[in-house]
Amino acid sequence: MTLTVTLIALLVTMAFALIRAIKGPTVYDRILASNALGTKTVLMIAVLGFVVGDPELYIDIALMYVLIGFIGTVAVLKVSEFGNLGQPQSHTDAEDT
Amino acid sequence: MIDNPVLRIIAKIIIPMILLFALYVQFHGDFGPGGGFQAGVIFAAGFILYGLVFGTESLRSAVPPAVLRLLIAVGLALFAGVGVITMLAGSDYLAYNALSEDPIAGQHLGILVVEFGVGVTVSAVMITIFLAFAGRNDP
Repeated sequence: MTLTVTLIALLVTMAFALIRAIKGPTVYDRILASNALGTKTVLMIAVLGFVVGDPELYIDIALMYVLIGFIGTVAVLKVSEFGNLGQPQSHTDAEDT
Repeated sequence: MIDNPVLRIIAKIIIPMILLFALYVQFHGDFGPGGGFQAGVIFAAGFILYGLVFGTESLRSAVPPAVLRLLIAVGLALFAGVGVITMLAGSDYLAYNALSEDPIAGQHLGILVVEFGVGVTVSAVMITIFLAFAGRNDP
């Protein structure tokens, strides 16, 4: 019962984050909202593991989700800032070229 | 992005954990979620994070493209080699029971080696794809 309420609360929070990600006026609003959405998804997977009754299996999936989500956020930030994925260039370099 | 201390330090801390977790997914795949393909992708994700933060030049010097091409072939050869060995042992292609006296031990060994081959090939292919897209403007 408690777990079900937690799941519903997480889903409501995710819906709010999703609305902000779609409406977000600036790119940073969208990135922050999608990052929060990813965090809520990890929590939801963990809670779902206890609902289903097999937490060990779902904790693995949640761990993997958080690692991949971190890399995805870094990649999106890099593209929005520098316009490419390759160079380790600094901000001043980007303004020079 | 190398001039951002937070990102640099976090990447240095988190990359070994990603690689360790990939090995866990690879060799624990019989009992939990995972297997060769997933482990290969997670392993490549560690290298892709390194390439994102430190640049594709550093990634190229860490894993030269020639080594990557070799690894693609080695993983595939492992997979196909297990099949050929079972054929030489007098059974069908990839019939793991022929690998050992005990059929269950044969199944275990065969699946472990085949999944390892899949993991090596997938991670090498993923890093190659990342280098091909992110490093296309490199000199």
